[in-house]
Amino acid sequence: MSLPSKAFQRWLHGIAPNTSTADVCRFSGVKRTTLAQQLVRGKVAETSLVSISRAFDVNPFDALAQFEAYAALRGTPVPPTAAELISQVSTMDLLRAVVERSEPQDGRPPLILADTPHATSVRNWVDAIDGGELRHRVSDATGIAPQNFSAHLTANRLPPELALATSRAAGVGPAGGLVASGLVTESEAGWPPGARREALDRLSEGELALLASERLQARGKTLRRQEQEADHTNRIWENLG
Amino acid sequence: MIAVLQWTTLSVCLALTALRIPSAIRGENRMMLVLFALISLDILLSIEGPYLLIDAWLGNVNVCNLLLRFLLYGTLLLMGIKVAKAFASPGGERAIRGPVGLAVLGATAVLTASFFFSMDTRDSTVGLNDLDPGPAVDIYAALGRFYPGYVAACLVPGMWRSVRRSGPALLRAASATLLLGLGLLIVSQVFPLIPAAFAWLRPLINYSAALASALGLGGIWLSKVIARRASRAVMSTQ
Repeated sequence: MSLPSKAFQRWLHGIAPNTSTADVCRFSGVKRTTLAQQLVRGKVAETSLVSISRAFDVNPFDALAQFEAYAALRGTPVPPTAAELISQVSTMDLLRAVVERSEPQDGRPPLILADTPHATSVRNWVDAIDGGELRHRVSDATGIAPQNFSAHLTANRLPPELALATSRAAGVGPAGGLVASGLVTESEAGWPPGARREALDRLSEGELALLASERLQARGKTLRRQEQEADHTNRIWENLG
Repeated sequence: MIAVLQWTTLSVCLALTALRIPSAIRGENRMMLVLFALISLDILLSIEGPYLLIDAWLGNVNVCNLLLRFLLYGTLLLMGIKVAKAFASPGGERAIRGPVGLAVLGATAVLTASFFFSMDTRDSTVGLNDLDPGPAVDIYAALGRFYPGYVAACLVPGMWRSVRRSGPALLRAASATLLLGLGLLIVSQVFPLIPAAFAWLRPLINYSAALASALGLGGIWLSKVIARRASRAVMSTQ
């Protein structure tokens, strides 16, 4: 899914009525040829809209909501669940939180969470809202093959339309997936400042330790796999290169 | 048409051999230079013009063809060992250089030589095409296809596993090309079943196998060079 050209141009005219397309591109950093091509094809990428919104001081989340396909974003914002908030804390920050919690030290600067998204934010978000058969429900609703959905999670990306379908299938607010995929920031999505930190503080020490160990385990597996792939590649190169 | 394919294959192999010379001088993986040179020589000896010329020096009794068979066996042995090691296939490596593999090679070589000397091989003819047809010529030809097919069959499972893994795109594409070449060597076992009307399929398969193997090996090397350059570029900007 992407945004129809006509609606996009109407929106662009609304926020920057007297600006040429060339200037819009210059301010927003969107490549001119890219935008031109998207307009000709009639499909403007959400990322273009987000970059342009930011350049013109418009909240990209609200801008998206003006489009028919993103009608779900309109109305009273649904606050993120605690699990969603914690899923958007990076693994390293979780580990730092464990240290901070179990060995409190005076004078250590308080933990400041890294901005969203983090390296495994998409998979962690889906795991956080998955009641058990979410992948199948998303697959039924959108027609995406489960292995393609998994490939997105592994690559830590999630197209906006799939993000919306996933949150709808899980019955959570529509913003989580857009934050997890990095399309919009947590503040643009209307998450209260410090919400992730507060959710983290509400975890018991045991919950925090278990969560951190799960994440560390997953990270270890990913790293191991990457190392094995690298060994494999180097072995081929050593012998045949 | 086939002549174009033959000379293209030869040029590609010669170019790859030449490209390997500087790294061989630096002492990197000299066996790969030997391997590419061997493949080039195999191709050269299988083309009519060079074959007739060289066979004339050797006495016009098609000894050049026997030489070509032995060179091919050597090429496949070397390539088999290298590829099996590279693609982490201990089973494949054992099947090629272990007792079984060497026994297969020895038996093929002895049988090849005995069938050759049992025939009346006077008058140079490339591929022994104009010799009196008979079971001896057919068996001799089948032996020449058998050992390369055997080595290819030992390598294919390990390579197939490897091609399906993730890795640099160029490396995977090159490995797949090499795999295609090996697959064609296996396919060449069914040459006797190809009807005479489709006889042109045989050289097509043979040279495509050689070309794909050479390009695959060259591509693997190229993917390494590109990766090293990229990592050096990253290092120098840091």
